[in-house]
Amino acid sequence: MQEPVFSYVPGVSFLHTLDPRTKLAAVMLLGILVFRTESFFGIGALFAFFFALASFTGLPVGVFFRAVRPMLLFIIFIFLAQLFFTEGRVPASFWILQPSIEGLQNGLRLSVRFILLLLFAALMTASTDPSAITCGIERILRPLPLHWLGVNSFELATMMNLSIAFLPLLFERVERTKAAQASRGMYFGRNPFHSVPALVIPLIRGIVRDAEELALAMESRGYQGTRRTSMHELLMQKRDWVSLFALVSFAALILRF
Amino acid sequence: MIRFENVSYNYPDGTPALRNINMGIKKGEYIGIIGKNGSGKSTLSLHLNGLLRPQKGKVMVRGMDTGDFSKLQGIRKIVGIVFQNPETQFVGRTVEEDLAFGPENLCLPPMEIRRRVDRALAETGLEKYRYHSPKTLSGGQGQCVALAGVLAMEPECLVFDEVTSMLDPDSGKAVLERVKRLHEKGKTIVYITHNLEELHAADRIIVMDRGRIVLEGKPENVLSDPSLRDLGLTPPSLIELAEHLKNHGVAVPWEKTSSPSNFAEEICRLFLKM
Repeated sequence: MQEPVFSYVPGVSFLHTLDPRTKLAAVMLLGILVFRTESFFGIGALFAFFFALASFTGLPVGVFFRAVRPMLLFIIFIFLAQLFFTEGRVPASFWILQPSIEGLQNGLRLSVRFILLLLFAALMTASTDPSAITCGIERILRPLPLHWLGVNSFELATMMNLSIAFLPLLFERVERTKAAQASRGMYFGRNPFHSVPALVIPLIRGIVRDAEELALAMESRGYQGTRRTSMHELLMQKRDWVSLFALVSFAALILRF
Repeated sequence: MIRFENVSYNYPDGTPALRNINMGIKKGEYIGIIGKNGSGKSTLSLHLNGLLRPQKGKVMVRGMDTGDFSKLQGIRKIVGIVFQNPETQFVGRTVEEDLAFGPENLCLPPMEIRRRVDRALAETGLEKYRYHSPKTLSGGQGQCVALAGVLAMEPECLVFDEVTSMLDPDSGKAVLERVKRLHEKGKTIVYITHNLEELHAADRIIVMDRGRIVLEGKPENVLSDPSLRDLGLTPPSLIELAEHLKNHGVAVPWEKTSSPSNFAEEICRLFLKM
């Protein structure tokens, strides 16, 4: 079993008790900050900030760094591309590769930014129940005129919830279909062009059938795609406003340097 | 409480699924609906709370027409359905969230949703699984979550659509026991199955074949009806045994055929009399 990435770890820390909207806003603000900060001092300060927040959660830091792992190849690629393709002073060249000092700086800056972004996102997902996140997103989207797009915030939230809930079922179905085809002599190693349709067609059929059953069960329990309430009570408390204020001040400070 | 008036429904390809169904369900009744695959019993169940609407005739639930869109939410508050496959009934990531789905759709305030979720958890004995993913539970427990999800809507009438067909025999029995207890608490029960063994506790049994009601009555009359076999249904094994004994001149009364222990007692009693 693969270790889950971006998964929620239940707890009672300060970060856990913040309103999901506060955390969503914080991640957005920090995301902007990460890409607006040019100096290494600023980036260092953001790292320090991350470690401070991580210590608030009481979780081992490894939990958050796990979120970086799937993106590592991408980050290395960005780093190398910057390193070799940025014009600038070339201290030493290897064969056709000419790393530049500026490239090294750019590469480091860019890859560290991506890592920071992932870390802050992981901080939010680890300390917030996914349904609270979707609930928060729903509440943030509610005032927007989404009906112009033919959807409403409740539908979007339900869609997000269902996707999170049904991902494991989807993987399970892939395994089951694979096993069913293998038991009938399908060999997956030989020709992917042949085996992919044999896997995908029954898979899609199964998923559509599941979806129909699910839709019936949802409708039977009163789902209409319109306004609904939530078990999670969202209340912006004093500590949410204080946190947001602290964060904005921190952002202003960083951007000054 | 629920009334079908000349209800007909065709599948999209034109095959008739229900043909001119007339029936009524009274409050507090325990109804068994039986028929082989394709007899229309599941289509019928989907008509009970307006998931399907009749193409001809009408279905009335407490005086509300299921064809009236504005009444649907009200109808679904009264009639809840537990479906066959627990896996495709789960909406939530945890058991608790799943149970909250129905009350959330009814736009209840968060406090009331909590109260209902807690109550449904207590009623089904699922408290310790509150924060588990419903997908990690066994089939029987999964079906329990599905039932709790419907109970959280606090309906008067519960419909069970072949709920035991994907469970092992023991979990099946547990579900049946639960249904019986709900009936004792005053819920109206509609229990759909193709296994006649499960219908002893019913007040009334309706047998369906090719979209029609072909037989209707008390379990003692329906379960021992000779025409069941022609309809592709197997009578409960104890009833079959009783029939064979009767042919040999040993008459075991109907009431004794509902459980093996009663049956054995009766046989012993008859044996001692001889």
